[in-house]
Amino acid sequence: MLINFILNHNPVSVDAPADITLLALLRDHFKLTGTKEACEVGECGACSVLLDGELANSCLVAAPSVMGRDVVTIEGIHAEDGGPNDLQRNFIEKGAVQCGFCIPGMVIAGEALLAIKSEPSRLEIREALAGNLCRCTGYMQIVDAIETTAKGRAEKPHPEKREN
Amino acid sequence: MTNLKFVGHPAQRVDALDKVMGKTKYVGDMSLPGMLYARTLRSELPHARIVKLDTSPALKVPGVVAVVTSADFVNHSNFGFPISDMYMLAYEKVRYVGEGIASVAAETPEAALEGVNAIICEMEPLPAVFDMAHALDPDAPQIGPDRSDGKHPNYIGHYPVYKGNPQEKLPQCDVVVDQNYETVMQEHAYLETEGGLAIPTPEGGVVVYLSCQSPFIPRNDLCKVLGLPADRVRVIVPPVGGSFGGKDDLNYQTAGQVAALALKAKRPVRMTFSREESIIASYKRGSMRMNIKLGADQDGTLRACEFRSLYDSGAYSSQSPFTSWRASIHAMGAYRYEDCTVDIDTVYTNTGYAGAYRGFGNTEVCSGIEQAIDEMADALKMDPLEFRLKNCLKVGDVTPHGQLLSESVGLSDCLLAVRKMSDWDRKRKEFANQSPSSEKRRGVGVSALFHGTSLGAEGLDEATATIEIHADNQVTLTSGLTDYGTGARTVYTLIAAEILGIQPERIKVHNPDTNTAKDSGPTVASRTTILAGNSVRVAAQNLLQNLDWAAADLLKCDVYQVHRVSEDYIGPSKEPVSWDIVVKHAREMGLVLSAFGRWSAPQIHWDEEKGTGTPYFAYHFGAQVAEVEVDLKTGHTDVINIWAVHDIGKVIFPQGAYGQLYGGISHGLGYGLYEDLDYQNGYAQSINFDTYLIPTAMDMPEIQGGFVEASFSAGPFGAKNIAEPAMVPTAPAILNAIANATGRRIRKLPANLERVMLGKELTKKGSPFSCKVALKIT
Repeated sequence: MLINFILNHNPVSVDAPADITLLALLRDHFKLTGTKEACEVGECGACSVLLDGELANSCLVAAPSVMGRDVVTIEGIHAEDGGPNDLQRNFIEKGAVQCGFCIPGMVIAGEALLAIKSEPSRLEIREALAGNLCRCTGYMQIVDAIETTAKGRAEKPHPEKREN
Repeated sequence: MTNLKFVGHPAQRVDALDKVMGKTKYVGDMSLPGMLYARTLRSELPHARIVKLDTSPALKVPGVVAVVTSADFVNHSNFGFPISDMYMLAYEKVRYVGEGIASVAAETPEAALEGVNAIICEMEPLPAVFDMAHALDPDAPQIGPDRSDGKHPNYIGHYPVYKGNPQEKLPQCDVVVDQNYETVMQEHAYLETEGGLAIPTPEGGVVVYLSCQSPFIPRNDLCKVLGLPADRVRVIVPPVGGSFGGKDDLNYQTAGQVAALALKAKRPVRMTFSREESIIASYKRGSMRMNIKLGADQDGTLRACEFRSLYDSGAYSSQSPFTSWRASIHAMGAYRYEDCTVDIDTVYTNTGYAGAYRGFGNTEVCSGIEQAIDEMADALKMDPLEFRLKNCLKVGDVTPHGQLLSESVGLSDCLLAVRKMSDWDRKRKEFANQSPSSEKRRGVGVSALFHGTSLGAEGLDEATATIEIHADNQVTLTSGLTDYGTGARTVYTLIAAEILGIQPERIKVHNPDTNTAKDSGPTVASRTTILAGNSVRVAAQNLLQNLDWAAADLLKCDVYQVHRVSEDYIGPSKEPVSWDIVVKHAREMGLVLSAFGRWSAPQIHWDEEKGTGTPYFAYHFGAQVAEVEVDLKTGHTDVINIWAVHDIGKVIFPQGAYGQLYGGISHGLGYGLYEDLDYQNGYAQSINFDTYLIPTAMDMPEIQGGFVEASFSAGPFGAKNIAEPAMVPTAPAILNAIANATGRRIRKLPANLERVMLGKELTKKGSPFSCKVALKIT
């Protein structure tokens, strides 16, 4: 079937089977491999995307259900020049990245939180990350990166655009 | 060690940018034109004879291109080290649920699965043994290979440490503790599942991109089972999505399967596992049953330890001979004893199989001995931290193995640091006075550890690095040891930058590749910083020497008169010349701009019969304190705080070292509180993250970490290691905190709700259902 939606700020139209997940649509049909497959039961968050701005596990979303909606993947998160945005830079600075497999999902989860909460507490950050598993980091430096970004964005009158 | 510019300073991880942008390509993200998808038929029985295996129906499935079985390999695909008891695909028998039997390559993953389900595989179920205590019964079914020494085929080995005679000493001690402790299997739970991509080469060889730790092992295995010379098999390690010890043996089988399929189909073949397939088929941390007897005098002097244990390796020996040996060396903990013996026996069963996992035997024994030490302190009415300080190893002590510790023993400093950071003395007093009627109770517990660095007497211990300056003046490094998420590449980069005096941005570390890197042994045992780090240091020094000659020539002075400021070389004339000009001049002089660095670990020795020697050339030390709140109504334990101070020698990459510390603690917290890969009659009862729970961001406390840098003279800049030992003391610290909070000991891991609330396990009935379904459909 033909599925029309907004993918990383551009309208797209794709002919895909109706019985696949959004995760499979992104990885197999758009070759956007930044969104990871790790459990396929909605437990790990490695496949996180922003669906109409909200955090979603793309492995639990039926591909046809994104018709007419807005999907942002990790490939759609960057600074205006295409480099890392402030959140991604803080992941690097704070040492939040190890094997990196969960990191696209973590960045997405961080953006989803910061879109609705400008200065979250560390506990609120932890709550927002509770659906995203990381086996490497113990989460400390990921929380640090999101906390630092929140402070940075709160201090700036015009927070850096996270997408273009 | 003064004026270090890069080592020990904040640095950016060299591979982090691509990872935060989602650009990093793991095996499952790679694809090639004409690539086929592979899937493996896996055993649904824990022990069975293969009566009939007919793969012809699979080849009739539309889209299926090739099928392989053990018959497609040399010597039935037999491999394995140190015991060759495994096969790339099962030969004659299967020994655990999930064992690979035949592999199918097809145009789509769906066709590959259909092909697998079309294979006719008739099995004759064999009697199985699941309880390690009965593995060596005279009538136990044979799991291990035939052996000629008259010993039971299910017997893997005996691992002793012998100092004196604790059986005679214990009755002379004022107080004796005699307790049993038990640990269960733990799943690595790397976020990226197993996978490999094989590409046939024009000359009849194969290139395999393999998510693994030690590429030279599968390269050598593939040569053997495919009958190919070493120059026809190339293994490349792409970015690895976590491993923790877990991406060896099983994924070597993946390598064998995709390589054989690619050679047969003459097309690229990729295999990636579903989570269910990963958990069912993969090896785990093995389970252990321990009996520990400790003797001490009323003044708090620890005198004797007698440790006996059984270790369950499951269906294959994998790394268990080495795991058991490391367990034996660390079983008595980091303490002085007059008399100490350790006896560990390791056996085969049909319960999955056990292999390498972070801590590698020490995680298991530490959970036992560190509880026993606490129980002894309780019996002596001594503060457990004070008791550890009184008895722990210090510089100048001789370990129970007979090794004199001459340097780099920072354990007392670690214990003193966590005592202060955690406000230990006040909390112990305060929590002793909690109302007995309160449902929520607080407690603090401590645990100490030592952890031998690198392979120890397990094998030859050396590593090689190469370094080269290219035409555009970029510097590249290779190492035979991999970075599977640990940060090792950044460590290499910082060491080379420090030696050469150039910005880290100039240096690029290649992916580990058996065609370009030198075999440096396995990437295990937290050996990368010392072994590979030292080899990078030596390579960079060898290269630097040539640049120094070029600089002296350019500056018209002697080599000893040249010194460096930032990237500039300065001679007696004080006129600086840049690094780039020196490199150009070296080229013009005909000096070689590449170098090789090999570093061999100091000689050590272990006598396997007498149980004495020098097991490791250096030790990591550490101490952790956990603070918990236990809800007696539900049995839920909330870990509120963890303080962790480890002696890792010189810290080279601080963000990376803290990351390893925090991450290790998360594995230890899961191990202590809820992780239990339970098998019932050989069937795994949790096969995805909905039932196998690992710590989330909400489960992890804010961790206060710190490092004692007790410099190790042979380490690069004095560094030792961090990866494995970060997790080792966490579970016993939490268990000791629960005992402090509730007054009750939980001697079998994990301290889950029922054990905390009821003090016992609930009876569970297992089911083979989910394993059987998952192997057919997901």
